[in-house]
Amino acid sequence: MPSYGVNIAMRRILGSSRNARAVCTTPDINALVHLSKTPPTTRHDGPLHGMTLAIKDNICTASLPTTCSSAMLAEYTSPFDATAVELLRDAGAQIIGKANCDEFGMGSLNVNSIYGPVVNPYRPADVRNVPSTVRERRSAGGSSGGSAASVAAGMCAAALGTDTGGSVRLPASYCGIVGLKPSYGLISRWGVVSFADSLDCVGVLARSVDTVKEVFDVILVYDARDPTAASPELRKRASSIVGSCLPKMFSGVQTNTLDGLRIGIPHEYFPLELEPSITSSLRTIIRSLKDAGASIHPVSLPATQYALSVYYVIASAEASSNLARFDGIQYGLRVPPPPGASRSKPSTVYAHSRSAGFGREAQKRILLGTYALTADAFDNYFLQAQRVRAHIKADFNRVFRHPCVHLARPESFLSADGVDVLLHPSAIRTAPRLAGEQDGGGEGRDMSSMDEYLQDVMTVPASLAGLPALSVPAGLGKDGWPVGMSIVGQWGMDELVLRVGRVVEGIR
Amino acid sequence: MIVRPCPWRARQLHQLWRPLGFKRLQSERAVRSDRRWPGWEVVVGIEVHAQIKSQRKLFSDALTCKPGEKPNSFVTSYDAALPGTLPTLNPKCVQLGVRTAIALNAQVQSRSAFDRKHYFYSDLPAGYQITQRYAPLAKGGYLDLSSTRDGVRVGITQIQLEQDTAKSIFDAHRRITQVDLNRAGSGLMEIVSEPDMRSPEEAGDYVRTLQAMLRAVGASDGSMELGSLRCDVNVSVNKPGHPPGTRCEIKNLNSVKFMMAAITSEVFRHIDLLERGQPVPQETRGFDEAKAETFKLRSKEDSPDYRYMPDPNLPPLLLSPEYIDRVRRSMPELPRETRARFMGTGLTEQEAEMLMAVDAGREVRFDGEPARGAVQYFDRLAQGRSAKAAVNWMIHELLGQLAARKETFSDNPISVEQMGELVDMVQCGKMTGTSGKTLLRHMVTSRSTASPLILAKELGLLAVSDHDGSLLKDWCLEAIEALPEEVQKVRDGNVKVMNRIMGKVMQLSGGRVKAGDVRQMLEDLLRKS
Repeated sequence: MPSYGVNIAMRRILGSSRNARAVCTTPDINALVHLSKTPPTTRHDGPLHGMTLAIKDNICTASLPTTCSSAMLAEYTSPFDATAVELLRDAGAQIIGKANCDEFGMGSLNVNSIYGPVVNPYRPADVRNVPSTVRERRSAGGSSGGSAASVAAGMCAAALGTDTGGSVRLPASYCGIVGLKPSYGLISRWGVVSFADSLDCVGVLARSVDTVKEVFDVILVYDARDPTAASPELRKRASSIVGSCLPKMFSGVQTNTLDGLRIGIPHEYFPLELEPSITSSLRTIIRSLKDAGASIHPVSLPATQYALSVYYVIASAEASSNLARFDGIQYGLRVPPPPGASRSKPSTVYAHSRSAGFGREAQKRILLGTYALTADAFDNYFLQAQRVRAHIKADFNRVFRHPCVHLARPESFLSADGVDVLLHPSAIRTAPRLAGEQDGGGEGRDMSSMDEYLQDVMTVPASLAGLPALSVPAGLGKDGWPVGMSIVGQWGMDELVLRVGRVVEGIR
Repeated sequence: MIVRPCPWRARQLHQLWRPLGFKRLQSERAVRSDRRWPGWEVVVGIEVHAQIKSQRKLFSDALTCKPGEKPNSFVTSYDAALPGTLPTLNPKCVQLGVRTAIALNAQVQSRSAFDRKHYFYSDLPAGYQITQRYAPLAKGGYLDLSSTRDGVRVGITQIQLEQDTAKSIFDAHRRITQVDLNRAGSGLMEIVSEPDMRSPEEAGDYVRTLQAMLRAVGASDGSMELGSLRCDVNVSVNKPGHPPGTRCEIKNLNSVKFMMAAITSEVFRHIDLLERGQPVPQETRGFDEAKAETFKLRSKEDSPDYRYMPDPNLPPLLLSPEYIDRVRRSMPELPRETRARFMGTGLTEQEAEMLMAVDAGREVRFDGEPARGAVQYFDRLAQGRSAKAAVNWMIHELLGQLAARKETFSDNPISVEQMGELVDMVQCGKMTGTSGKTLLRHMVTSRSTASPLILAKELGLLAVSDHDGSLLKDWCLEAIEALPEEVQKVRDGNVKVMNRIMGKVMQLSGGRVKAGDVRQMLEDLLRKS
């Protein structure tokens, strides 16, 4: 794959950015793919005045290309800004560029990109003196790998990503930063190139929970252009529930007091594949949270075991539909049929553009999704997946103390012994090594293709249920690389999740 | 069961079976032998696609557009399926769909939903069309055909909202296909009938009745010429008393005449196959207008898998009973209701039909805005006035004047206020009927927006204020003087000649005196002298 544009981009960053020092220490992580040429004049009175931000390349910007890291859109610039981008600009933020990602958000390692993989900028303590050229190259996670890496490398204060099945939380965990996937429907998706509409969320990545919250508060606006946006009434109901429980928990002078907070540990989140060192990180966190006054409760979410299968059926089905528009007719890559090729049907003509424009992973998922929607498979795959998805949602509603405001009579689910939030590892391991590395020895495992799908096993359930989930750094694994812990709350309890996240963040 | 041709009996059975809840059987309607195909029964069902007459498209802000506009000038980024765009349902389209459902006596569903239908074609920029396959807007319903006296009622299976496609035009000369997105994403209603029609004529009647109904409720132009109404027809043929035959679908018929021709040709094709002992294969067919023949598009085996999927962007459409009731109450009058109301106000059937026929040609306005046709004009004109006077002035004078100028009612330059004032002036004697007609002609010609009172003054058309009758007397005396021979004849008893003298008085007065008064005055004067 060619990685055009990237080197030029890096050189520009090195030459001009005031964050040059940070960049110098982590060269060539391939995080940004298009850079803003001149810093646009920003509003001086906005709450984000002066804050630098990177935007994932599947979020539309009128001033920079939006390629989704796909050959299909390599030359594409959107005529409009996404609502989230518009809100950030209005708040005075400075958008420094577009971040590398997996093609159309499809991937967990940010290796499915025409710009090449994003390299995790994290440097473990024991290799600080090893020259970068011979240093082990690990994945930044995906699909918002460029967003996470640019923040972790200090190129910007925060970044927007998108999270369909873990695409913000996983890279945040691998890069050792904070990543929030808000409740589905809170942040406008207008201008976000759809991968799977019923799962896609705009997320925020930053080095601290406070910065994440600063950005989140700015983009947390109802937008009538997003038909899946939560209605203002629903937002009000959810925030009144948060408001009623927050003062009780975070009272007193000491903000880190968690008296009365009930934290659930779901036992389905400890699969065989989970690295043992991550469990010990979790134990440390749990001890500290108990000390702060929280109570810990084991809970069960039995449908979790089906989450990954459900996710890949639904996400692929929706992707096959959403990506049907890329036919090379109006915009995007166009490969005319070679002489002599059949032109009998539009599909035979489009096939040439689509075969050349979509990468391997996108093609795989389009095919899988297309199959799931065929008349023969629809009931057994797509509808069945929707049924199981309802079970997964019901599981969550059973364990949470707070009612789901989406339900007609939320009171019926109110349970006194429910938990406020769930806590579990964000990933089954630390950042995996990028494939194709020369030094194949040692304990670092290469990723087999099935392993890549497994990365999402911890993050997918919250996506399917549309719940807010925050990944916060929680120490280091045995290999010296960052470990992330996820805090998951009931729909609309993003504020609570962020508050708990800040406490977890403080445990070092 | 073979039912003999007996329309009366069929109606009886029909009325008996309905309340008992029997599912209507195909053979329920009496088989009427058709001279064109004796011994065969024809079964027709129709899917109508009607463009919704909304200002904006179904899911975007773009204005809807008429054919003939500059290509690709009514397009937003959503209509062009640019990445990152999302649909927003236009409530006006829902309202017009609900109106249609109510007018077709269908059950509006409290919960309906949108699905994606996938196929690759250059006129479908997103690669899918948003429609309502699994949960349509309305189910069940019926339409009574208008012209037949034997009460044919066509069942409506469902009504669904969906997006129209773009237009692709093949330029044979340059061997390229051009795409015009102006129509892409406009709102359509798909109205699916039960297979309740038994002849090409009934099918034609169904489409025409539906057209009139759609126009009456303001839901659609219903114009097949402009492409705002298109039909797909399902045809099958069977021996009376036997189960229905294999049906074939004929796609994209764009006039009632061609639709009827296509059905007729398809019926003969089926009968021909069956009489030769061959089965009718289930097919989708097109219609060749030049040859008046259908031709095969694809067989059942080649039918595409549209991979229907619930649209993940559009939440279910929930309609409360209050909303449906609000739409019901704001419904425009249906044609049969208008007719009944007119007859109730003392209009003759002819007058009512005349007004409604003129009204039917009106422009259907956007978003169900109240119509501005002849019926509305009449209703406003008749408000506080005699309905008889209003209809006379409208039909005989106003429409007459317009017709004389080869204009239609839509060209009418006279406002209801002007017309009303004019009628009032005649009614209360400020102006004679003759003067009123003269004034109306002047107004239609000059397209003046001035008040009729002012115009009448300018033109000297006001009835003379002649309380003691001195003016009238002067004119009469002048006439008597001018026509001595006639006067003599009248005196000799030839009363008919009186009319000539009266005419002279009218001429002298400029038509501003009433005929009765003139006669009275002349009689008095002639008796005296």
